[in-house]
Amino acid sequence: MFPVLKTELTKLHRSLALLLIVAAPGLVALFLLLNGLRDGQQRPWDYWLQSGSGIWAYFMLPMSVTALTALMAHTEHAPRAWDQLRALPIARWRIYATKALVLLGVVAVMTAVAVLLSIGSGALVGLIRPDNAPTGALDLASAVSKMSNVFLAATLMIAVQFFLALRYASFVPGLVLGIAGTFFSVVATGSRIGVFLPWQMPVNMLATEAWRAQTALGLGLGLGVLTLLFAICALSSRDVP
Amino acid sequence: MSDFALETRGLTRRFGRHLAVDAIDLQAPHRAVFGFLGPNGAGKSTTIRMVLGLCRPTSGEARVCGLDVTRNRIEAARQVGALLEAHGFYPNLTGRENLELARTLRSLGRPEIDRVLDQTDMRSAADRRVSDYSLGMRQRLGLARALMGSPPVLVLDEPTNGLDPDGIADMRGLLSELPDRTGATVLVSSHLLSEVEQIATHVGILNLGRLTVQGRLSDLLANQPQDIELATSNDARARTLALAAGYDIVDSAEDLRLKLAPRDDARQVAAELNRALVEAGLDVHRLAPRPRSLEALYRQAKLDLPEAA
Repeated sequence: MFPVLKTELTKLHRSLALLLIVAAPGLVALFLLLNGLRDGQQRPWDYWLQSGSGIWAYFMLPMSVTALTALMAHTEHAPRAWDQLRALPIARWRIYATKALVLLGVVAVMTAVAVLLSIGSGALVGLIRPDNAPTGALDLASAVSKMSNVFLAATLMIAVQFFLALRYASFVPGLVLGIAGTFFSVVATGSRIGVFLPWQMPVNMLATEAWRAQTALGLGLGLGVLTLLFAICALSSRDVP
Repeated sequence: MSDFALETRGLTRRFGRHLAVDAIDLQAPHRAVFGFLGPNGAGKSTTIRMVLGLCRPTSGEARVCGLDVTRNRIEAARQVGALLEAHGFYPNLTGRENLELARTLRSLGRPEIDRVLDQTDMRSAADRRVSDYSLGMRQRLGLARALMGSPPVLVLDEPTNGLDPDGIADMRGLLSELPDRTGATVLVSSHLLSEVEQIATHVGILNLGRLTVQGRLSDLLANQPQDIELATSNDARARTLALAAGYDIVDSAEDLRLKLAPRDDARQVAAELNRALVEAGLDVHRLAPRPRSLEALYRQAKLDLPEAA
């Protein structure tokens, strides 16, 4: 598995996918920074981190997963590299499983970067406008725990986007579903049925009602793993004429 | 060990109602340069894809070094280096980095990269990004990748695509030397009949999914009927004389053309004909046996399948 992993990571060199790892969480941090500088009052760190994780889980994570899966799949679709890859003496499931692992790893890194940059933006506001600096203790463990759950609950959404992006050479099906999923998860905020929508599962990790968080985490992670397994089997056994 | 480096038995592929490849029995002997020819849509690419395990046959089997590609794909793939029409290089990486991916996935030693770069004359461009490469450079890099690990079978789809005349000559030299240098069997799919004729030891001609001609090129050419081109001071009279002497005449806009039987000695026929024409009082302006060529063989192979069209 290691050689395949090494090659998948090498393919990210100088790619737009790599830029997205910093750009997407960076936009969240930029928003927090501008908001913090504009805001007339001091806010506690909890509020600060809750805002960051909220924007990330609610909107930026689903959009980033949509873009990231499209970009990673485009790496193979655009130069029509599948033939060369599938003709190699490697079990095909390894290729697809490694791609899924790299995708999950990149999303995990992006989520971690989102936490770090959110903290960084708070610290920067404190430097530029000390009267607006975040107050109270910074509960990093709680922030990491919440964001870890956000990431785990996103597994189903990641798996669906992964399958569509790799299955179709055109980026349109994945992009349309990703945008539609994000749109409906935004407009269905608060509705009971929203918790069953894969694109809304991550933000439900921040819900105050325990059932929402538990349902979203169970379904997002459980069905996500199953969907990934299905995607790997379906893609590797597919006959490409 | 199998008698053939690359072999198919009744290999068939159907796409819905369309029969793309129709029960072909292709046989490429060890150390051969096998020219795989056919018009567009003949089924060459589908056959190559089945040989590489990229698509499954509807029926029949493909074997590489005796290994069934469907049942033992990974072991069979170890025996093959391929240059496909779509190179599949990652444009954001350099040539060397692209080769490094293939080297890692094939578990080969690091010196292998420089060896194949030297072999394809790509060392100086290896550290440039592939997005900056010309089509010819990508073609060379594709060949370099196919050569990695010195596989016993090379499958090359249109290897001279995008190459300039010098590049084509280099490629020709490299491919014709490979069987002797490395013991490899090379299957070359190409539209350039003159190029294939210069390097191929064996050919197979595919038409409408059927393998109409296959064998050692020298044998096939020797069995090919020859033409004699004829121009005289009175072509109508010459035609009558030739027909009376029992020769077949092929209609041609420019001149008369006599079609000989495969076993006829063209030089002997030309001498006899010349004598007859001169004795009949005609001036002979031209009397030239046309050399047997792969192009003529190719055209004949296409004509031999009228009922399938």
